[in-house]
Formats: sequence, C-alpha cells, structure tokens
Amino acid sequence: MRPRVVPVLLLDSRRRLVKTRRFGEPIYVGDPFNVIRIFNEKEVDEICVLDINATVEQRRPDVGFIRELASECFMPLSYGGGVTSVSDASPIFAAGVEKIVLGRAGTDARIIRALADEFGSQAVTVCVDCKNTPEGWRAVVDRGLVVTPLDPVRLAQEAEAAGAGEILLQNVDRDGERSGYDLELIYRVSRAVELPLMALGGAGELRHLVEALVAGASAVASGSTFVFLGRLRAVLITYPSTGDIEQMRANLQREC
Amino acid sequence: MSQNSQRYQVCSICVMDSNNPGVTFDESGQCVCCRDALARKPHEWWPTKEGYNRLEKTVERIKREMAAKPYDVMIGLSGGVDSAYLAHLLKRKFNLRMIAVHVDGGWNTEAAVRNIEKIVRQLDIDLYTHVVEWEEMRDLQLAYLKASVFNQDAPQDHAFFSTLYRLSKRFEQKFFLSGVNFSGESVHVPRGGYPAMDARNLRAIHRSHGVGTLDTFPLLEPLHYLWLARIRKQLQIVKPLDYLPYDKEAAKRELIATYGFVDYGAKHQESRFTKFYQEIYLPVRYGFDKRRLHCSALIVAGQMTRDEALEQLERPLTTPEQAARDKRFVAKKLRISVEELDRLVALPPVPHQKYANSQTLYRFNGVLRKLVRGRL
Repeated sequence: MRPRVVPVLLLDSRRRLVKTRRFGEPIYVGDPFNVIRIFNEKEVDEICVLDINATVEQRRPDVGFIRELASECFMPLSYGGGVTSVSDASPIFAAGVEKIVLGRAGTDARIIRALADEFGSQAVTVCVDCKNTPEGWRAVVDRGLVVTPLDPVRLAQEAEAAGAGEILLQNVDRDGERSGYDLELIYRVSRAVELPLMALGGAGELRHLVEALVAGASAVASGSTFVFLGRLRAVLITYPSTGDIEQMRANLQREC
Repeated sequence: MSQNSQRYQVCSICVMDSNNPGVTFDESGQCVCCRDALARKPHEWWPTKEGYNRLEKTVERIKREMAAKPYDVMIGLSGGVDSAYLAHLLKRKFNLRMIAVHVDGGWNTEAAVRNIEKIVRQLDIDLYTHVVEWEEMRDLQLAYLKASVFNQDAPQDHAFFSTLYRLSKRFEQKFFLSGVNFSGESVHVPRGGYPAMDARNLRAIHRSHGVGTLDTFPLLEPLHYLWLARIRKQLQIVKPLDYLPYDKEAAKRELIATYGFVDYGAKHQESRFTKFYQEIYLPVRYGFDKRRLHCSALIVAGQMTRDEALEQLERPLTTPEQAARDKRFVAKKLRISVEELDRLVALPPVPHQKYANSQTLYRFNGVLRKLVRGRL
C-alpha cells in the first residue's frame, strides 16, 4: 500500500469551492462538479470535501447536494461539515460517502463513540485543527475562532480512545501558505496515537508531502498543492501521477 | 441551411462548400474564401529566413522596451497545441519573460489542464488563472442557447480578452503574443461569425434570457474596449507563428516528444463546450463542419492536399455514441435535460443584431480613424 494522497476541497456557504489562507481570504477555485470531474480523470486515491461554514452558520448537512457530489465521484469521498449525530450521518453514508469528518463534534467523545459503534471506526475521521499559541499548541474549533484548552496530542488520544478511525491533523497557521507542513507537530501527534494520521495544512508541492510522510504521517492531504500552481497561485487542478508517487516513495525509503 | 437557389458545390481549390450562405464561387469554381486567403498569404505569413529575422528584431525591441517591467510579454494558454507551441518557442528560442493567462470558464478538459501544467512547470512560466464564477457562466451560456444566436463561444472568448486587458494594466504589459496563425486559420467565411468583444450584445442577450446577474463576469464595455484596443493600443498583438513555417502536426509531435504533451484530438477541444459547439451544434443547426475551414487553411498553406482534406471530411465528425455522451455532459453541467438541449439546438437561428449591439459604434470608429488619417 502506497501512502494515500488526498485533495481537500472546501465548500463555502454558496456551494462554491474556495481555498483559504490561515482559514481566511477565501479564493474561488471553481464549481465543485467541474473540479471533481477533473480529479476523477486524474485517478485520485480519495477526496475530502469540507463545508467550512456549516457549523458556524449552524447549517445541517445538505444530503441532496452531498448525494450529487458522491454520485459524481469515482473515488472514495469523505465529507465534513455540520455533522453532530448518528441521525445526521446516516443519510450521508446512504448517499455514498465513505467517511465522515468531524470538526467541532470531534471534541465530544460521546459523538465519536456513537458514530463508531453505528458505522464502524473506519468511517469516522476526527479533524484536529491546531494553532500555535503563546501557551503552546492548542486545538481550535469553529473555523479557528474558538481556542480550546486542549493540546492536539491530548485531543487525538481522546478521539482514538472514543473509537475514531483516523486523525486529520490540520494546522491553521500554515493553511494555504504552501511553504510545507509543521513537521514537528506531525511527528509529535503521530507518535502519540496508533491511528493513521493524515497531515493537512501547509503543503504546496510534492516535496512537502514526502516530508510529512517521513515525519510520521500515514497519509497526506492538501488543498493548495492540487488547486494552485506557481508564484501567482494560479488556479489549476493537478495531481501527482502514479510515477510521481512511486518516485516519492523511493525518495522516502532512501531518507528513512 | 443550403441556399435553395443553388446546387450544392464544393470549391475546386479548397474544400469550402455552398452550405454556407456567405461562400460564393467564381466561374472557375474557386470559392471567395480561399481566393481571399491566397491573396493575403504573402502579406500575412513569412515562413522564411527573412521572416524569422523580422521576428528576432521584434523580440529584441520588446525586450528593450519591457526591461524594467515584471514581464516582457503576455501569452494565453488554453491547453491546446498552438498556444503551447508558442510558449515553447518564446522560452526556448528567445528566452522571453512571460506571464501566461488562462481563463477557466468551467469547461476545461483534464487533458487541457494537464498540458498547461506540463508547459508551465517545464518552462518555468508564471501562470495567471481567472476562474469565471460558474453560476454566472452557466446562466450566460444558457441565455446564449435560448437566444439561438450563432456565436455560442462568445462568453468564453469575451471572458478571455477582458481578462487579458485587465491584466495588461495590472502588470504594465504592452504586448500580447498570440498563438493565432495563418497556416491553420487563414480561411474565413465572409461576414461569418460575430465578434465576441461586444459587451452590449452579450448583456442584451443575458438580459433577455438569463435569470441571474453578471456581478463578477469579466466584461469589457464597448467604449472601454474601443479606447483600450483601438485608440490607446493598450496591447499590441503579435503573432509569432506567422514568421515561421509553422505546421501544427509537426508542432504537436514536438510537444509530445519534449513535454509529454497530451494529444486530445481535434482542433480547439481544450474546452468541452467548444467540442459540443463544433461537433454537434454547428453541424446540426447550420450543416456546418468546422473542419472545412481548418482543412482549407492547410490547403492554402500547402500543408494538405485537397484529396487528403476530402478524405478527412469523409470521416464522421463524431460517432452517435460520443455525441450522446457529449450532450449528456453538457446538459448535466447546464442543469437541463438532454431533451431541452436538443430543443435549444433545433431552434431557428436568430441574428446577433436582433439584440442591442455595438457594431455601428465599432464601424463608426473605423470610419473616424480613416477620417483622422485623411483616407476618405
């Protein structure tokens, strides 16, 4: 099994795809269906679609829209945004989504437990949004607006204990910066849990993805790497070919 | 759509036919299109050493003039052969500092996107993309289909040129080097088509048949366009491929060998909408096969024989299965049924002039300029 490489697409309140920088400054990258169709042809491992305003705007997931997305996707789809309960998640799984990503709900062990019991751990990903504060690393929720007193390691361990199947480790400070992941954070959290950890936040090129895998991530996710190209951040959908990923793995084995 | 007063006729020199109302023939059977193109050929295409020297001089002048600016020239990148080959030429032969402009109207094929990626990465060119808001684009394109006018590609083309002019100001650019070339594009139908740069016409069509508003669509208002394009000459348009013995097939082979370029078939199929327009819309509605223009241009260029062209035209433009797939795709994206799309294609054609437009203004501007130059 080669490491999974996962494009992350962000939906705004009007169902437009945007790419943020440090969770702000959304830039329009296109219509979700156009973008997903191009990723289909690029034979992407998996795709992750996050509705970034659902929780803050107290919107329930729009199952009809999610069903359309899932029917357009040739690859496994994970979805996050506004899911708070088993009753939210059931129709989403029924619509063809493989995994649910929990943001704010990921700080509530009871919700994780209920979802894992109902659908299996493999279907539950907890997204840990991290921010570097004067007090050290802290988990944040609600688009980074609310800083919790929890260290990301602690939150990841609690999610694991509650039955989550995967940690999506997101770094608010590096989101959209394209200068590389915070490798120390990845190293620290991946060492603290048995769960597969998917790194997110900061990648801009293939090299960064390899660095995260070396640092301990079992999968790599990125928005910018796959929707932007070059100095001017030109919107262009890209994805490494199988050859590129093989090359990546060879470099990885050399470095380990 | 053939003229009922006339028998069907194909040109004796090229392959243009009488299905197009604008195409007329002389006694010898030659059509007006290739006669015109052949007459222009010595004045518009210089595939000689001398031509190349002229291009070199132009490039030197541009470099001198733009030395203090962030880039020497702007180019477009669609993912197609002409624009990619131009980028390759300008970088490898002339080492120009380029900003490549791409407008994403929501119809990119994966091949187009991959080709753009290969070219900009391997040639290290700065790419700028403008993504048109899809809901506006969709509304506008549906309006065009409902208006039933000829130039269904106008929304895409308008967005491109408007973006180009906007960026030229932002990046202080004066030169647009275009991949348009005589060798593959010299043949036109007189009074055929309708210019994309008529924002008044575009707006009127959208007002009549659209439902939303065009808040962000890159429009270039007619007076502003006249001012920028024809009076201030904000952008000088240079066509470098006309100074070379440019041959599209050979260029494509070179791009495939050098950059792993993806061959995606016919001309201008970087956009899935253009594919539908050229393979389904135009033939069904006007009996018009766009390959005739391209083949005739190649005949004029001496890059194809008439027999080869006729043989190529024998082959179907598309298969029924492929056409059905393409129609399903276009209908789904526009969020209408295939039946509705069929109905729109079958509507009687309506001239662009039925809607408000700026053609008089543009013509008047031409007259004015001649007056100023004392030519009348």
